[in-house]
Amino acid sequence: MVVLNFTLTPEAASKVHDLLLCLGKFSDAVAIEARSSRFTFTALNSSKSAYAALTLDAHTFFTKYECIPSRGGPDGRFTCSISTKALLSVFKGRLYDPLGRDGSIDRCEVSVSDKPSQTECRFIIKMICNQGVIKTYKLTYEAVEVMHALFDRNVAKNRWSMHSSAVKEYVEYFGTKTEMLDIFSGEGDDAKAVFKSYTEKISNGKEVLKHPLVTAVAVNTSDFEEFSVQPGLHIIISVKDFKAIAVHADTLKTSLKAFYSQPTRPLQFSYGCDGLACEFTLMTSGDYTAPSSQAPTPAPAVQILSRENSRPESRTRSFEMPPPAEPASASTSFRSARRRNPGSRQPAASKPAAPDPDSLFVRQDEDERWEPLEYNQDEEETLGWDASAEHDAAVFPTFRDSGSLARTETEGSGGGGGDGGGSTEVVAPTQRVSQIKGLW
Amino acid sequence: MRFKASIQNINTFTKLTASLNSLGPLAWVKLSDDQVCFTIIPEQGTQVWAVLSIDTIFETYTVQSAAGNVINLEVPLTSLTRALKSALNATSAQIRLTKKDNIPLLALTIVTTSASNSYAAFPTASANNNNEDGVDAPFDSAFGGGSRETIVTQEVPVRVLGPDTVAGLHEPQCREPDVHIILPPLLQLKSISDRFTKLALAGAKSGSGTTAARTRLELAANMHGCLRMSIKTDAMSISSVWTDLNNPELDPNQVAGGEIGLAEHPSTRMKQLGTADGRSDEGWASVRIDGRDWGKVMSVGRLGGRVIACFCHDHALILYVYLPNENGEDESVLTYYVSSYSA
Repeated sequence: MVVLNFTLTPEAASKVHDLLLCLGKFSDAVAIEARSSRFTFTALNSSKSAYAALTLDAHTFFTKYECIPSRGGPDGRFTCSISTKALLSVFKGRLYDPLGRDGSIDRCEVSVSDKPSQTECRFIIKMICNQGVIKTYKLTYEAVEVMHALFDRNVAKNRWSMHSSAVKEYVEYFGTKTEMLDIFSGEGDDAKAVFKSYTEKISNGKEVLKHPLVTAVAVNTSDFEEFSVQPGLHIIISVKDFKAIAVHADTLKTSLKAFYSQPTRPLQFSYGCDGLACEFTLMTSGDYTAPSSQAPTPAPAVQILSRENSRPESRTRSFEMPPPAEPASASTSFRSARRRNPGSRQPAASKPAAPDPDSLFVRQDEDERWEPLEYNQDEEETLGWDASAEHDAAVFPTFRDSGSLARTETEGSGGGGGDGGGSTEVVAPTQRVSQIKGLW
Repeated sequence: MRFKASIQNINTFTKLTASLNSLGPLAWVKLSDDQVCFTIIPEQGTQVWAVLSIDTIFETYTVQSAAGNVINLEVPLTSLTRALKSALNATSAQIRLTKKDNIPLLALTIVTTSASNSYAAFPTASANNNNEDGVDAPFDSAFGGGSRETIVTQEVPVRVLGPDTVAGLHEPQCREPDVHIILPPLLQLKSISDRFTKLALAGAKSGSGTTAARTRLELAANMHGCLRMSIKTDAMSISSVWTDLNNPELDPNQVAGGEIGLAEHPSTRMKQLGTADGRSDEGWASVRIDGRDWGKVMSVGRLGGRVIACFCHDHALILYVYLPNENGEDESVLTYYVSSYSA
């Protein structure tokens, strides 16, 4: 039997929302690993090219945290997997609002009920709202083994660090629908780092015009807090992953650090503050026969120091690493688990409070009111009357000035006076048309 | 073939391409020594023929080609608009025609400068921690020194059109209009026409008839400052009437036949009919247009130009959108050709 209880402040709960939103861009299900000293969300994408581990520190992130795994003693852990959508419908946006408006909470209490005596194992989240309302959510979870991607920062000689708000600004320049991001460090004295978003697909003729925008953002290396990358090195990752990371890092207003060695070897982005440590390990591509790999163990590349002195990072971190076997099946088996418990209260897999994906990157301006209206999308919002009086005629008898009060129409279906339930609903006109004069 | 210019008025250029993009995805752009033409000819719907003076959007403009210094391009407007949007806060922006892997493209080079400490305006605890070993950083933040200069390059793929490809494209010819009138503010017009179209569509689900027939707006104007927009379906008939609008005087020098031509002009005859309160049934020149298409045309309102509508009764509606400019010369005009449905 596992004991896992913790309490979150509204700020922390809203950070959980932000991180889930980010993890949702990688995978449908997040894996959770709780230890006595930390709590980790991990996600691995379906192509296994991106792995995210977001670790919440037991002491600084939570107001109260207690985790006693059922076995393994102090190094033991409790692991499970939960649908990202389900969690996002619990950890909605705007949980933290200093003005206490709609949706804001006072605190959030989470516990796991995993007792052998009970038939149901649930992840229980209680949102204690400001007006004394307590919303309790019980989520099903699936017990899975949680894997960690191994990343050895000692080998990753190339590294840079930049404030997330600047990175996010660069990401906003990228066109939509591009696939790849090439991070290039220039050569020469006045070297620049270039972030280029592009799509590999090469098309001909008329199709050329449908080719997505190629965007290159050239940044002075002195604008980085730290920049120590082998000149001339290209490293290619998915632009979608990078966008998700930059946007999430920006919610923390912190520096984004990158570590990598050479193309085809993993790259790691890392950032964090206030008890939240985020690490994303991404597979890279690129021409590994390029100048970079001629020295396979790159000698310390030219150090370009910026205003801030880069301190030699002597952190040796390696994670335990069973080869990444996958919770990819987790999403499907989660669904089947849900089916097995039809009575359980499942939070509706409603659309997560994700804003329009474009709005994160595209300037929202007053220009929008000039856009042609999308009539198809907002049909449901339109309040209208059905003035046709055609197809429902049998159900709602129309009345006419014949004195029969339209019974003629219901008689056929109603089958006589006995069950004339339909005709009792008929509202008789208060006046006959023939009595009204001068109106028409 | 060379084309290079610095973009002087990014805002106008962006709004222009965004407006044009609502009518069609591709534009024929004709660059010549003295003007820039944007033409949208969609498969169906309204055509736009825009003629801009160079300085409306560009400065230091060079165009050279073997075909009399004229370059014709086919440009995807969505990409161009997206690229221009990233230049809205730029300190400078340049556009040039270039080639990469044998694909011609318009390359925008955008230089933006942002204060390097913009993110430190509200220092967080973590930001301070990061600075603990950076001696200069606090000074930077304190004195606002240092700024980040970023160079963004956007590459829009284009197709170069030969002179013979564009030779067959002609601006529509139209007879002299019966009524010409200055339109009320387009935002007002757009919100009412959007409303009408929406109402018509809401009824369309239950009623008969195709939706295209249902979203048909009737737009009419007379020579006494009235404009009427109406929609009729099986279930309803609504109309809005504007009065006290302006019917600009025709310049005899611009009318074929001078003074005599003016006297015989259809609008002169229309002046004899109708009233200024818009209640008379006479004197209206009307056209039937598709509400959805009209919504796309109204998108031009963001440019804030003066719009003169010319009504050829039962035939076509032509809108002249004059872009505001400072010096009053070399006016830039967008011409919209909206054809009228027959019934």
